[in-house]
Amino acid sequence: MKAILMLEDGHSFNGEAFGQAGESIGEVIFNTAVVGYQEMLTDPANAGKILVMTYPLIGNYGCAPKFNESKKIWVSGLVIKEKSRIFSNWQAKSSLDDFVKSEKLLSIQGIDTRTLTVHLRNKGGALGIISTSEFEKKELLAKIEVFRKNKPKSWLPEISVSKPTRLGKVRGKRVAILDLGVTKSVIKQLESLGFSLTLFPYNTTAHEILKAKPKGLVISGGPEQDPGLKNIEENIRALVNKLPILAISAGFQVLASSLGAKVVKMKLGHRGVNYPIFAPTSYKGEITCQNHSYSVDAASLNKIKNIKITANNLNDRTVEEVESKKMKIIAIQYNPSSPGFNEVNSVFKRFGKIMEE
Amino acid sequence: MPRRKDIKKVLMIGSGPIIIGQACEFDYSGSQACKALKEEGYFTILINSNPATIMTDPGLADVTYIEPLNIDMITKIIAKEKPDAILPTLGGQTGLNLAFFLMKQGILKKYGVESIGASVTAISCAEDRELFKKAMQEIGIDLPKSGIANSVEQGMKIGLNIGFPLILRPAYCLGGSGGAIVYNKEELEKALDKGLEVSPVRQILVEESVLGWKEIEFEVMRDCVDNVIMITSMENVDPMGVHTGDSMVVAPAQTLTAEEYNNFVNLSKKIIRRVGITGGGANIQFGQNPDNGRIVIIEVNPRLSRSSALASKATGFPIARVATKLAVGLTLPEVMNQITGKTTSFFEPTIDYCVFKICRFTFEKFPKAERTLNTSMKAVGEAMSIGRNFKEALQKGIRSMEISRFGFGCDGKDKISDEALKKPDEALTKSIRDKIRIPNDERIFYLRYALKIGLSIDEIYEFSKIDRWFIDNMKQLVETEDKIRKYKNNKPEEAITLPVELLIAAKKDGFSDRQISYLLNAKEEAVREYRKKNNLKTVYKLVDTSAGEFNAKQPYFYSTQETQDEARPSKNKKVVILGGGPNRIGQGIEFDYCCCHAAYALKEEGIDSIMVNCNPETVSTDYDTSDRLYFEPLTQEDILNIIEVEKPIGVIVQFGGQTPLNLAVPLRKAGVSILGTSSDNIDIAEDRKRFKHMLEKLNLRQPESGTVFTFQEAKQAAQKIGYPVLVRPSYVLGGRAMEIVYDEELLEKFIKEAAEVSGEHPVLIDKFLEDAIEVDVDLIGDSETFVIGGILEHIEEAGIHSGDSAMALPTFTLSQEVLNQIREATYKMAKELNVVGLMNVQYAVKDGKVFVLEVNPRASRTVPFVSKVIGVPLAKLATKIMLGKSLKELGFTQEIITKHVAVKESVFPFNRFPGVDVILGPEMKSTGEVMGLDKDFGRAYIKSQLAAGQNLPKKGNCFISVRDRDKRAVVFIAKKLKDIGFNIYATLGTSQALEKSGIPVKVLPRLAEGRPNVLDLMKDGKIQWVINTPSGRIPRQDEVKIRSQVILYNIPYTTTISGAQATVNGIEAFLKKDLQVQSLQKYHKGLKKRPR
Repeated sequence: MKAILMLEDGHSFNGEAFGQAGESIGEVIFNTAVVGYQEMLTDPANAGKILVMTYPLIGNYGCAPKFNESKKIWVSGLVIKEKSRIFSNWQAKSSLDDFVKSEKLLSIQGIDTRTLTVHLRNKGGALGIISTSEFEKKELLAKIEVFRKNKPKSWLPEISVSKPTRLGKVRGKRVAILDLGVTKSVIKQLESLGFSLTLFPYNTTAHEILKAKPKGLVISGGPEQDPGLKNIEENIRALVNKLPILAISAGFQVLASSLGAKVVKMKLGHRGVNYPIFAPTSYKGEITCQNHSYSVDAASLNKIKNIKITANNLNDRTVEEVESKKMKIIAIQYNPSSPGFNEVNSVFKRFGKIMEE
Repeated sequence: MPRRKDIKKVLMIGSGPIIIGQACEFDYSGSQACKALKEEGYFTILINSNPATIMTDPGLADVTYIEPLNIDMITKIIAKEKPDAILPTLGGQTGLNLAFFLMKQGILKKYGVESIGASVTAISCAEDRELFKKAMQEIGIDLPKSGIANSVEQGMKIGLNIGFPLILRPAYCLGGSGGAIVYNKEELEKALDKGLEVSPVRQILVEESVLGWKEIEFEVMRDCVDNVIMITSMENVDPMGVHTGDSMVVAPAQTLTAEEYNNFVNLSKKIIRRVGITGGGANIQFGQNPDNGRIVIIEVNPRLSRSSALASKATGFPIARVATKLAVGLTLPEVMNQITGKTTSFFEPTIDYCVFKICRFTFEKFPKAERTLNTSMKAVGEAMSIGRNFKEALQKGIRSMEISRFGFGCDGKDKISDEALKKPDEALTKSIRDKIRIPNDERIFYLRYALKIGLSIDEIYEFSKIDRWFIDNMKQLVETEDKIRKYKNNKPEEAITLPVELLIAAKKDGFSDRQISYLLNAKEEAVREYRKKNNLKTVYKLVDTSAGEFNAKQPYFYSTQETQDEARPSKNKKVVILGGGPNRIGQGIEFDYCCCHAAYALKEEGIDSIMVNCNPETVSTDYDTSDRLYFEPLTQEDILNIIEVEKPIGVIVQFGGQTPLNLAVPLRKAGVSILGTSSDNIDIAEDRKRFKHMLEKLNLRQPESGTVFTFQEAKQAAQKIGYPVLVRPSYVLGGRAMEIVYDEELLEKFIKEAAEVSGEHPVLIDKFLEDAIEVDVDLIGDSETFVIGGILEHIEEAGIHSGDSAMALPTFTLSQEVLNQIREATYKMAKELNVVGLMNVQYAVKDGKVFVLEVNPRASRTVPFVSKVIGVPLAKLATKIMLGKSLKELGFTQEIITKHVAVKESVFPFNRFPGVDVILGPEMKSTGEVMGLDKDFGRAYIKSQLAAGQNLPKKGNCFISVRDRDKRAVVFIAKKLKDIGFNIYATLGTSQALEKSGIPVKVLPRLAEGRPNVLDLMKDGKIQWVINTPSGRIPRQDEVKIRSQVILYNIPYTTTISGAQATVNGIEAFLKKDLQVQSLQKYHKGLKKRPR
């Protein structure tokens, strides 16, 4: 089935639909990682986005439930160059094709993703529409316009747990997770450190969280600048200085703005697995996985007492990590992915130490 | 951290001659390293024996030594130059081994030299099997289980412990001989017995079989503050069991999940940290069980490697440059990424295309060699291609290989016809199955045949263990092929009816016009026209290290079929340089050297240089050699596409060897302007009749010759000319299928072979001048002034391919009279052909008479050698001449006769092809060359021999066995050997000749007639040198055995009388006074005013 992707500036790309027919509108983002399509599709942080994979050959290793980052696909559309006809990996249970079909995701292949990416790079973020039924430019642009004018949807009620939820059987130090769209890989890493985890709905009050007597709080990642986030800043502010806090990605942004820092939209986000970060005064850094279009403004952070920027992105100096010894806060903009083999990202270990102190 | 200030002088060791397993990738890494060190302000000292390299250009290092790569020479250089540090990681295994030896011997310590980039502990950890095993176990990384056995009982115990299947590898056996895969107890016992027997040390490695597992590689870099980055992953299409240097490889890996990928990254980081590389890169090879994901480590190279060159070209990340900077103490964040111009090197490249590497083999040169691929590398070169999908990259890769194939079959050149494939009989099916089961150089084409006869993806996987994903992609190509075929014309002139959508689909999957034209029964030009008419244009995309995230400053380009062209051609004046494609015998680094010089010259003249090449090992495909680089196959279609986009003022075809020269005619027909000597004059040199006519006009002598198409014609021609005759196909390089024929019977055989290679071109028959001296002349001309670059005298007599002969510059036996005749003839022909650029002439001198053998109006293999000797960059000057400069303006108007003597010697790949005879003939067999440079011929010759790996003795026992014709000549050689203290062993015939002249000899029996024979003595290390000239075209069994044993035990050997003569003289000179080292810069200082 034919399908079209049209950007808000009228640039369009023709391809072939798979997964589901229909229409879908959202912010078009590209990710430069070669592997990890299933993880990206199911990462709540990407809710509502139209995801472009810059790597042209997608679906090669198929899909398997164990690679889901959450219960379902959250993106609104998938745009790729070439979908693999077969899948080949000993762990695979289904093809990408079947996976997006079962999840009813509108997907489009045969797109010149390179040209699309370069266009997005030059232009910055853009809204786009994928359609299998409407091909008229005027009509499509009008639909994007309507979408833009509508009040943006909050994904959090769908993404977050609806009530406090104890996870697993681990009986260790109690850690609360404020679920803004937590991923399975974060949970797995925390569990492997022996923490006993409870997920709290995104809008849980400070009082309720403190009542559960956790030793620390993780504010998870999730969709950036979700309209639902505004209302929870107050809850978070009330938790600062009460609990050691690890804030991740969108969670970092909420925490930062609750402390009075500014969150700004970047011209081009960081979405991939190859971003270098480094401590401002050293030569030593890390390659990190990142997925953000907004960043916390450094100048506004520096005005906050007792908070120190501990890592920047090496390319454009955006803030990637801050720490407050006094307030017992570690906040990271990058994704704390596992280095591999069920090992744990060092940031979780550091958080564990803070909780000990 | 800032670069180290405590070191000022850095010594670099190159990798020496091009051999199988070590090709021009180390010129690429070495020259990048030289530039990087210079940029940081270090004084660099370089030693390399290979004159055809860019790195040995006098401007690159501060001091350049072209000397044999051995401990003795390097120690002398260290004593003289007093470097503070040695950089051992950029000269391949050769450089690493030498540096390691210098460390172990305490030489570095003695002279206060520090090893940077990799410490002695790091190198030992990676190279010593036991230490490596221990280190890997320490960090919890699996290795294939294995044990070493010295007896059958021991082997049984180890084997049963590990479990089947098992691989057995006898120790010290060449090319995997005696190795086996066993599946049960009985087989194991038998194979152990046999393996222990063939191993000279009665030792055998019993190893868990990982055959058929996935082979995954990672390129990793680490700096001194422990920043680690992955450059790229690579997946071998051919699974474990085929040497990665022989495998088809894709980058990035295609069939790993994100989790698996992370796991590999995690392991790679652990490994590079444990091995202890603190400023450089490593290549890490893993095996992975495709059924359960189990990972084992295969090997770590703690240095720049062939794979790192590939990774570098695949991603745009200059690994060698960065590794060098890390070695001198800089950190990754401090080194800028020059491709993006915005990011630093602390950034992992990511790509948005598929890279494919395919290897070029050379079995046609060694018909007796087995075509099977295994763990001993056999490829002589490789091509890399880039596409937006695997299918496109695969097809481009195949047409980059220069084997006259235009994609994944269906180009009219398939060995098995479509008819036969439609109704395959049992024998055909079996042969196809065998060919995909046992890895070989033709497997890729047999995979297509297998698909065509209807084998399923699963069946093909079971036979080949090639991942199903790759096979399915190939299957898609076969399906598209069948779809296109439906629109086949009855006659080639008919209009093309292929639906445009199908054409677009085919083009996206990399089908060439040639393939489509074959499938449609149309002309290639018609397909091109049809494509244009339908507005189907090839576009160019970028290699930018970031998958489009950053706007690249200095990217390079690949073609594809997409919606938008990113070529952004400049408005400057520009010239296209056509490169030489993959390395192969006959065409290698020498031509890449010339292409690089063309780019440098264009830069100096302010003209944009546009390089087209597909060889990832080379300097020419480095991102900063030319202004713009197109990583593309060198076919008419691909080049015309580039020319249409770039619109250059001209194209240079003189420098890339035969590949671009073959394209000269079609390009000219398409209206492309070819720079340099006019195409009509090129044609005079190439066309036998016109050439003969010209020589007659100039009153120059030529061996009698004839041009024939059939055996009948050949017979008549040979009778008229008189035997022996030289038979050869026209339009080929490297003496392919060239033979000296002494009688009619052999004539018939070779005419057939030659006709096959020659195709529609005729076969040439020349009078063969026995015992003549061959001479090569390189000349440069600007159509008014002509200057000889060098007259080179071959050391071996006529009949041995000039690419295989040793040569001396200046000449050492030719009389002034003969030299004058040669000069006169050369200038006459250059004037007549109105040479603009370079020209090479080959002469034979017999009885004081000079015969013209051939003229090539292009850069020859000897151009870099001559340039180094006389200190004049001939290829660079030639480029400037093509752009309109005169030799007068350039300041080069007189032949330079040097006082120093240089000898070029060739290096052969015989040790890779067990059982192949080592004798030389008119068909070229060498892969590389070295230069010996000294003040007299004897020393220069001996240096060339040492550099070529002949470990010549100063004393000991020499075994002599020569054919009857050589028996008189060998007497003088034997006499001298005796005089300087050697003992002589000989076979009966030879010994009689020697004894008659009063030379005492120990007689050895024929192999079949008694023991101990010469084989026994060689095995016991009692023979230090073998002189053996072949008895004829079909040599005796004894000779072949002796010569193959020579290779096995690495004993110096000589197969020509002239070679033996020169060697004895060399040893004599060597005994009188020890060899000394002198830099190239110092030799050049002794020359008169030269242009640069």
